[in-house]
Parts: sequence; C-alpha cells; structure tokens
Amino acid sequence: MEIKISTRQTLRILNIIAWYLFIGMCIEAGSFIFNAFYTMAINPEAAGYFRMAELYAYDQGYFLVQVLLVSIPAVLKAILFFLIVKILMGKKLNMAQPFNREMGRFLRNASWISLGTGVFSLWAGTYRIWLQQKGISIPDAEKLNIEGASIWIFMGVILLIIAQLFKRGIEIQSENELTI
Amino acid sequence: MPIIVNLDVMMARRKISLNELSEKVDITLSNLSILKTGKAKAIRFSTLEAICRALDCQPGDILEYRDDKS
Repeated sequence: MEIKISTRQTLRILNIIAWYLFIGMCIEAGSFIFNAFYTMAINPEAAGYFRMAELYAYDQGYFLVQVLLVSIPAVLKAILFFLIVKILMGKKLNMAQPFNREMGRFLRNASWISLGTGVFSLWAGTYRIWLQQKGISIPDAEKLNIEGASIWIFMGVILLIIAQLFKRGIEIQSENELTI
Repeated sequence: MPIIVNLDVMMARRKISLNELSEKVDITLSNLSILKTGKAKAIRFSTLEAICRALDCQPGDILEYRDDKS
C-alpha cells in the first residue's frame, strides 16, 4: 500500500522540528550569554561549565572574546529558526501562490543569517586554534557548537542565489496575476 | 505605462455597465476593474477578442499608445 504524505503534513512535521530546534538554539545561546555574565560578574568558577576555566584564568579578555564569538553563531541560529517558525506558523506560506514578498524577504534574511553564522563560526574556530597555540586548554569546536562553518557559508550562498531567483519568480507571478 | 486602456470610454459609448460586460465576456468583476483602471500588466488575445465582440469595436478603440514624454 502506497503511503502518501501531503505537503500539509510535511509542513506540519517541519513546524514541529523547527520549534524543537528553535527552543534548543535559544537555550544554547542563552546558556552561553548567561554563563559569560555569571562568570564575569558573580562567580568566576562558572567558567568551568564550558571547560574554559583555564582560559578565564589566563586572560579575562580572551575569555570574553571567545564566549562572544561562540554566542553570536548561537544567537544567529536561534534567529534563523525563529524566522522558519514564523513563516511556518503564519499564513504567509501559500502553496497556491508561493512567490510572495514575505517569502522573498524570508529567503534573503535566512541567507544573510546563514552567511553570518558561517563567518562567525569560522572566526570563533580560528580564534580557538590561536588560543590553543598559546598553550591554553580549550574545548573542541564540536563542544562549542562552532563546527561546520563552511557548510553554513555554502548554505548561505545557495540561499542567496535562490533568493535572487525567487525575486524574479515574484515578478513573474505578479505579472501573471495582472494578466487579464 | 504609455499604453492606455480606454475600456471605460467604450463602455460609456455602448452604454454598458461593468456587470453586464463581465457577464458577456465571462471575466470576473475584479479582473475587469483591474483592466479598466489601467493596473493590468498584460491582456490575453482571447480576452481582447471577447471584449471587442461584446462592445462591437476594434482593439484600437480599447487600447491606445500615448508617449510618456509628450
């Protein structure tokens, strides 16, 4: 028996996954920011939560830069999933007429956010290696969730191209709607 | 756009309302309104043919070219 999955069902599943990832990303970004604040203002031992106690002891400035560079991609990822949730929850996603301005804006924003995530992940990774070369013990890129920078950049570029094609699609749909 | 749609002029000459024309050419009122107000970006030959038949006129009576510069 053939199982048919409709677009509506696919979108519903995607919506659930997007919500799950959005909440996860918010927690991740929040934990980095809160931990940095808590370490700097209240208890320096909290730096050990992300295994960066040695870095904090070596130099607080280095610690702050590293946490900032790790937090930015996490925040950008949370914003990206928020945009996905927003587009899936709202009535903007019209499968009958998908080429609308909101979708175009979403694709453009998603592409820039992906590029930003990639660039900051790359920067954070490079900074981590630089710190390691100084002989400071610092967690792996995987543990800091800054791996896969090139994939994010690749996705950003692809989305940017799709956004440009989408722009033309919006024009064609608009012309088609105004052809009597 | 330098193409002017004179549908309202022809409708007035033939003393026909938008509702009547809509029924005769089988086009929705909203689409006919888009055409009448000059918001349309293109017109199909089939639509033009139906309007010309209903109003007993030529395409040139409905469409007019007017240079923007002049």
